[in-house]
Amino acid sequence: MNVPESNRVPRLAQGCRLNPAGSTEDLLLIPEGALHLKGPARTIVELCNGERNLSEIVAELQRQYPSAEPARIETEAVALLARLRDRGALEYV
Amino acid sequence: MKYQLRALIAEITHRCPLHCVYCSNPLEMQRRSDELSTADWLSIFQQAGEMGVLQLHLTGGEPLARSDLTELIGGARAAQLYSNLITSGVGLDERRLDELIEAGLDHIQLSFQDSGEAPANEFSGTRSHALKVRIAQMIRERHIAFTVNMVVHRRNLGRLQEMIAFAEQTGAKRLEIANVQYYGWAFRNREALLPTRQQLEQSIEIVEAARERLKGRLRIDFVFPDYYAKYPKPCMNGWGHQQMLIDPAGRVLPCHAAAVIPGLDLPSACEHALQWIWEDSAAFNRFRDESWMPEPCRSCDRRTRDFGGCRCQAFLLAGDAAATDPVCILAPQHTVVEEILQHVNVSSAREWVYRIDPS
Repeated sequence: MNVPESNRVPRLAQGCRLNPAGSTEDLLLIPEGALHLKGPARTIVELCNGERNLSEIVAELQRQYPSAEPARIETEAVALLARLRDRGALEYV
Repeated sequence: MKYQLRALIAEITHRCPLHCVYCSNPLEMQRRSDELSTADWLSIFQQAGEMGVLQLHLTGGEPLARSDLTELIGGARAAQLYSNLITSGVGLDERRLDELIEAGLDHIQLSFQDSGEAPANEFSGTRSHALKVRIAQMIRERHIAFTVNMVVHRRNLGRLQEMIAFAEQTGAKRLEIANVQYYGWAFRNREALLPTRQQLEQSIEIVEAARERLKGRLRIDFVFPDYYAKYPKPCMNGWGHQQMLIDPAGRVLPCHAAAVIPGLDLPSACEHALQWIWEDSAAFNRFRDESWMPEPCRSCDRRTRDFGGCRCQAFLLAGDAAATDPVCILAPQHTVVEEILQHVNVSSAREWVYRIDPS
């Protein structure tokens, strides 16, 4: 797994998009099918807009989830982005 | 309803400028005069969106042969479907490509028959390769995801390394190396197309090395030739479990080849709602659960993973759509597959017939 560096700016790869908000389940649509997004994963992916870098994304998540442990938020976000990158669903600007 | 329809495969026409010897279309193709109208397809996409379908695979034949393709893609986007165009590229120009992207096309899967012009043209029975190379360039220059699909078989597996290098050059992010699956025209040309065991083993080594080398740049998916597999593929991820195919005339099938199965009353999307077809039609329920399964499937631990394999293949190889897929080493009819493989591994390649274009 490639661990992303904090100053890199992620965005969804071409051909990947989220299903409409408010659907019964959160999915990332990719050329080969769909990836299930669990818990805060949809929020994390939404923040990957090609403008925020990783540390800004983590800071924003920590603001949105004040009751969660900050270090855990970072670990989870980094792990999710690395998985999506390995899957070809995420790229860095 | 236990099963959620996820993907709709729309064979919008059987017309095609190519004549590939391994075409997966049925030998009996639908004619242009029987094709569904634009409004029919738009209604189908709307119904699919309402049923929670995520993905629409537009295929054929050559989907670009339909002059209303842009409108169909617009309709798919309006129905919130992810649209994937499976194409040879023949029929595309810059203006049309821009229109398709503008209408909301999400992804293009561009097929190639080989990396070399002469063999590619030979396998497709047309002089199309050079044009397809230019079309790949045209796609690369635009902001749309695309996959290169390379169909592999006995006559081109020896050039697999060149084919992977070719795919790298196109700028695609994903390469699907698809061994021919033996249905339709490919079944008819099976003895000319089946690779040898040695070719298969070498190709697996090449793919593994390429995956390592291209990690992060080009994702490679490999479709295995199941005649050589130990256990059957989970065909369509289960009959009536996730996918549905609609042919050019509106016949609704649980998979590409299901029309070969005798006695399967295929419902029409013109006469019934898609939801009824999915949930209640006899065709979609025929092999949906496990009640049809014979031994050894019925008591096999793998039955929840491979669902007994492919029903069409069981019919084509064993003469019984309710038999265990004969590619399975546990199948009573597995000797049929062993005999075919034994034959292709000692004989030289046969001649083939080219796919015809329906009127």
